[in-house]
Order: sequence, then structure tokens, then C-alpha cells
Amino acid sequence: MLKYLARRLALTLPTFFALMFVTFIAIRLVPGDPVEVRTGERGIEPERLAQFRHELGLDQPVWKQFLDYVGHLMTGDFGTSVVTNEKVLKEFFALFPATIELSMAAMLLAVSIGIPAGVLAAVKRGSSFDHVVMGASVTGFSMPIFWWGLLLIMLVSERWGLTPVSGRIDLIKYYFEPVTGFMLIDSVLSGQSGAFTSALHHLVLPSIVLGTIPLAIIARMTRSSMLEVLNEDYVRTARAKGLSPFRVIGLHALRNAMIPVVTIIGLQIGTLMAGAVLTETIFSWPGVGKWLIEAIGRRDYPALQGGIMLISSIVILVNLGVDLLYGTINPRIRHGR
Amino acid sequence: MALVRRSLRFAVACAALGFGGTSALAKTLVYCSEGSPENFTPAINITGTSFDASRPLFNQLVEFERGSTKVIPGLAEKWDITDGGKTITFMLRRGVKFHSGVNNFTPTRDFNADDVLFSFNRQWKDDHPYHKVSGGKYDYFADMDMAKLLESIEKVDDYTVRMKLKEPTAPIVANLAMDFSTIQSAEYADTLMKAGKPEQFDQIPVGTGPFQFVAYQKDAVIRFKAFDKYWNGKPQIDDLVYAITPDPTARLAKLKKGECHVMIAPRPADLEEIKKDTSLTLFSQPGLNIAYWALNNQKKPFDDKRVRQAFNMAIDKASIIRDVYLGAGQAAINLIPPTIWSYNSTVKDYPYDPEKAKALLKEAGVTTPLEIDLWYMPVQRPYNPNAKRIAEMMQADLAKLGINAKLVTYEWGEYRKRMQQGEHMTGQLGWTGDNGDPDNFFFLRGCAATRPGGQNLTKWCNKEFDDRLVKARALSDPAERTKLYEEMQAIMKEDAPDMTIAHSVVFEPVRAEVVNYKISPFGRHQFFGVDLK
Repeated sequence: MLKYLARRLALTLPTFFALMFVTFIAIRLVPGDPVEVRTGERGIEPERLAQFRHELGLDQPVWKQFLDYVGHLMTGDFGTSVVTNEKVLKEFFALFPATIELSMAAMLLAVSIGIPAGVLAAVKRGSSFDHVVMGASVTGFSMPIFWWGLLLIMLVSERWGLTPVSGRIDLIKYYFEPVTGFMLIDSVLSGQSGAFTSALHHLVLPSIVLGTIPLAIIARMTRSSMLEVLNEDYVRTARAKGLSPFRVIGLHALRNAMIPVVTIIGLQIGTLMAGAVLTETIFSWPGVGKWLIEAIGRRDYPALQGGIMLISSIVILVNLGVDLLYGTINPRIRHGR
Repeated sequence: MALVRRSLRFAVACAALGFGGTSALAKTLVYCSEGSPENFTPAINITGTSFDASRPLFNQLVEFERGSTKVIPGLAEKWDITDGGKTITFMLRRGVKFHSGVNNFTPTRDFNADDVLFSFNRQWKDDHPYHKVSGGKYDYFADMDMAKLLESIEKVDDYTVRMKLKEPTAPIVANLAMDFSTIQSAEYADTLMKAGKPEQFDQIPVGTGPFQFVAYQKDAVIRFKAFDKYWNGKPQIDDLVYAITPDPTARLAKLKKGECHVMIAPRPADLEEIKKDTSLTLFSQPGLNIAYWALNNQKKPFDDKRVRQAFNMAIDKASIIRDVYLGAGQAAINLIPPTIWSYNSTVKDYPYDPEKAKALLKEAGVTTPLEIDLWYMPVQRPYNPNAKRIAEMMQADLAKLGINAKLVTYEWGEYRKRMQQGEHMTGQLGWTGDNGDPDNFFFLRGCAATRPGGQNLTKWCNKEFDDRLVKARALSDPAERTKLYEEMQAIMKEDAPDMTIAHSVVFEPVRAEVVNYKISPFGRHQFFGVDLK
């Protein structure tokens, strides 16, 4: 097991290096640098431009800038934001809890609806329920997040008044200092009555929007995986033994059908992070997605590079965790055997 | 902080018990802003978002009257301009308090001349202890040429500051009302420097302004509370909250639902809907900006006034305003918008008259087909929503006269650089005013700015115009300056170095319960003086 883990970790190293390189080069291929983006119609005196570029190290050859960057990264230094002068790590981790909270809520929604819907659709294959679930999941999968978010705001919040429009809590009624960065937890810790409910209300729409695509994928995957398993001999045997349908499906079939679904769930972390960029912007959610968008606009190289590296690391690690989880679900592929 | 929390809890409890909501106890105004500030020191910032975030906290020596470009006393009660306009002496206001309790700082003295010197010297002097703190980029101080204008700033006594200039420059007083000229606490700066935490100076602000800093959570919220010892009286609202809401559709939805009271920058497509909504009031005003089409006077055939006039008549400006600005623009007759003092309303714009344009071209000996280039910016600007679309419309209008305009563009930084070098024959650009002074626009057509790399993209140098521009800078009497600027506008229209396209119109919807809100020509958001019904 440990050997497997070490091998997998070693395999991620080239991925990290490639990521570092691609991010570094890609942002520099975008026209305009952090200094030029700062200047308006007036432009900037050549001497000041040169001085700023020098301070940021942008006057160095690109290969040297890259080596410096890698060198700093090795020591855990992700650099300082060009815009706010804050350490990139500090900014990232101040905003990251909001992204995790939203992503977890979205994933919870996707899993808790997606898996039962997929299972039922498989069991009732060909029924109108099956068609509805599959139709809805195609729609969900192809839904542009931005449009979907705005549509929900206009209908659910504005017209029907069921949820707040955006933000994480009612700003007029509640105020407390963040402790953990997770609004649901902080609202409980604050001891202010109603704060938790307000935080929960604010979480509803963004998690629906962010959870829609994973939900659709999970439902489809569960259905097809279940269909495959339901045709297996051991399921037939279980049925023949006279086990209740609940035990046959819930215990025998589902557990085996879950293996590809768990892989998909792991891969959805990437989808969630990509979706968070848009969802956070629409719902004024102070997470890292929105922060990255701004970093692109302002060509904040350190923030952008650091942010992408950190998010990618998390995605890679989560997938590694999922791989390790297989063993728990399916003893046949337990590692190290 | 604990006190605020307790009082809020009390307010919430009362609201829950049906005591008329929080508004009866604490009036909270929520402003839906569009983004996070870089920090809270305007001198090191460049965006309107950051300036808006610092505005409740601070004052300047002189300030812009809310809702206008007029300069009024701020922390300086009055000022004298002597020595032929080369010396300005500021008499400072007494008894002005700094915020207390922010970041555990308790001021031991009132505002005085030391704070003024600190605030300017930090930006000006390389060896100032705070010069390098937080990146040390003072864009506006540099852009407004302060280092070139200032000879010295001295403390005469605790309540008198003398500013000496290298040459007479009347518009400098307007510079001092700009955000970069914000006065900060020298004592707070010293305290933090001694504690080894100077960067906190720009992140946890202490000022003299109407509201005191409470908390900031990046990309989420900024909280302020009324400063009860404010020199100009306590604000009518108790709590001021900036809800950071980047998406304009979400901002409007929040405004409609009452989750905020004032919002920035609605989408033009939503304006009709806002006008119909009785719970909202829509304010509008031409922005402090200009979009223009520069004709390079140093290139043939634009060295001939008749050709330039013909080009002015060849373009259907009304269609551009209608189709590109979608109603959020006003045809520009002069370089300055009508909200700036000295605007000459007697100047008449060129009519759209292709026949007359043709005749003028013929008279100037221009033969068609004529090949020209027409540059357009690759980016959207506050004064120009779509330069490419405008260029295409101009191209079509010019084609009717047998002029083939080739559309050209470059990456934004490169575009400005090449135009400043004068590589174009004709090209679009624009300007957003900084301080509401006419000079801040007219220098764009001055002879000094025609040098390669200069800001005069028409490369037009007219002595009659330039003499007045230089003369007006040395005068301190607004009436005399007004006269000169009015004449300059007439000269400019007649000589047509460019075609003034439009001033974009700024819209701001606020909820009906907001009282005494004023839209600012600078696009500023100010909440001192605003109340809630």
C-alpha cells in the first residue's frame, strides 16, 4: 500500500512540473503585462515602466523568470500578488473555505439526488421515469452555468422571493468575524439566532447551479453502471435466492456499480473548480474562482500561477484519494496485493 | 468591535420581536459595489472601486462638492494663492479627530500639518520610511505630474502648510481634491512602523472621514460605522455596508429585492426596466469623459483644415450614439463634457452633410478614391463601448465619399504607444477626466503634447489655442480662466483637429427610500449626507 502510494505520488511530479510550465507560459502569451494593465489612456513614462518591470522581474529573460519561479516554489514561496501585495498563499487560503463549502454542498446535492435517480432509472429501465431522468440529465449536462444561474436568480429569488439573490449571509442583520471561513460553521459559532438559517438559504441557489452538471453526470453513470451489474450472474443468483429487491439492489448490485461512479465523482472535483469560477462570480461568492478571474484581468501573474498550481494540486490529490478508496469498495483491487 | 457586535445583536433581537426592524434603531445602508479594493490607501491605488472603498474613511485638504466638480474646503478651511500663483498656503481646520479604536489605535492628538506632510512626502520622497511599503507605486501622483510641479511642502506651524510650485499651475488645487491626495494619520503610521507592521497601514485604515472602518472580507463585504466625532457632523446613517457583487444582473436583482439600496453600473439593457420600477429611482449624468477620433494633422491630407472639417461632416454621429451607445451616450460637441465648468454652450457642432463634405474635399484638392487608415481600440473603455463598431460605421460613411478606410488595431498597450508616436492617419481614443479641471482635458490638444510619445494624438499645434492653455494655467481667478477656455473651445471646433464623438452617460439606480443621494460626475460614490426614509 505504502509502496503504491509512493509510486503514485512520484508519478504526479511530472504532472506538477508540466502544469507549472504551461501556466507560466500561457499567462505570458496573453497580451499585456501587470504594469501595462495598470495604465490607462495616459500611458506610462518609459522610465517608470522599466522600473516597475524590473521590480517585478519582468525584464529578465523568460527562462530565468521561470527558473526563479520554480526555485521559490520549491521553498513553498508562491510569491506576492502584484495587485494587493499580499502573499498568494495567504489570499488563497483566506478564500478557499468559501469554495470548499460551496463545492461540498454542490457535491452533496449531486450525489444525494444523482445516485438514487440513477439507480431507480436503471431498475425501471424504459419506464417514463427513466426517460425523464435521462432527459433531465442531458439538459443539466448541457446547461450553460452562467445562464442557469441568472435564470434561477430571476425566477427563484426575484420573482418568487424564495431565496436571497447572492452573497453568503444577510449583511444587514448579521455580522460576525470569520473563524473557520465556513459560513455554516461560523454562523453557528456566532450564537446569533437565525444566522445559520440565513447562511443555509444563501447556499441553496449557488449549490444547485454548481451541482447541476455533476448531478447529471453521476445520474447517467450510476444508471449505466447499474444496468451492467444488474445483468450479472451474481445478481440473478441473489434474486433466485429470494432476497428482497432492496437487498439485491442496495447491497449486491449497487456496491459493485459504485466503482466507476466513485471515479467519476473524483473527476468531478475538476468540474466543480471550473464551475466555481462562474458560479462564484454570479452569486458574489468570495471564493478562489472569482479571485482567479480577477487575477487574469489584471495579469496578476503570481496570484494566477499560484492559484492554478494550488487548485491543480488539490484536484490531483483528491483523485489519488479516490484511487485509494477503490480498495475499500472493491477488495479485489486492494492495493499492494 | 465587541460593542458593535452587541449592539447589532440587540438590534436583531428587537427586529425579531417586531420593534419595527433594524432601521428604527440602526440605519444600515447597503451599497452593491462591483469588486474588491486593492487596499485602503488611495495613493497607491488606481481603480474607482478602491477609491470608493476608501472614500467614507478619509478627507483631503480640499474636496469636490458632492454631485459636482466644484472644489470646496476640506481639511483646509481656506487657502491663499500668492507669488503669482507659485505659492499656495493652506490654513488647516482645527479640532479634527482621527478614528479611534481601529486596529487598537487610539490617537493622542488631532489632525495637523504633520499628517499633510506625511501623506504627500510618502508619495514624493524616495527615502520616506513609508515610500516602499505596499509596493510603493504612486501612479496618480506621477500621472498628475506632482513631482514636476512641486518645489516644496513646508509646515509653517501646526495648522499652516505652504506648498511652493516650480511654475504657476492653477489646476493643482483640483489635484489636491483627488483621491491620491487623501490625508492619513502620521501618528498611526509611526505606531505601526514601530510595531514592525507598516503594511497594516494600508489594510486597516484610520482616517478623519465620516465613517470608521469596521471590517473587510475580500470579495464579500466592507463594513463601516458612523464616526460620531466627525468634524462635519455625524452621518445620518449608522452603518454603511458595501456588498461586493460583481455581476450586474445580480446587483439589480439585489437592489429590487431590497438587499441593497444603491448599485453601481447597471447594464444598458436593463435601463428601461429600471425606469418602470416604482421602487427605484434612476439617476443619470454625462460622464466626465470624451471619446474622440483623432485626425493626424502632421499627415497629409489632414494638414488641411478643410479636409478635417469635411471628415467631421462625413460621419453620421447621431447614428453612432443611437446604435453603439444605445442611449447611454451624449453627442460630444466640445472636448470637455457639459458638467465641467467653462463649457462653451454657444459652440455648434458640424452637421452631418456628406454633400458639403464632398465639396470641401474637392476645394482642398483631395482626389478620390482616397486611401486612409482608421485605428480603433481593441478594448471597451468607459467612454466607448465598442470602438470597432464605430470604426465600421465610420468606414461605411466614408465610403460614400470615395474614401477607403482601412481598419487597424493593435494590442491595447501597443495601440496607445503607436498612436502616441503618431503612426496613425486617423484613430479613436478618449479620455476620462481626473479632477474636473478643464486643463485636465485641454492639455490633450496642447503643443507640448504633440511630441512623439505625447498625449496629443492629433499632433495639432495651434498657437492661438496653446497660448491660452498656458496662460490659463497661471491664473487663479476662475472667471478669467473660464473666458480663455471658452475661446479655446471655439478655436478648436473651427480648426477641427479631431472629431469629438461622445460623452458616455452614467446611470445609477437607487431605491426610493434613499434620501438625498447625488450622482457624481466623477463616478464616485459618497454616502455622507445620504439618509434612509
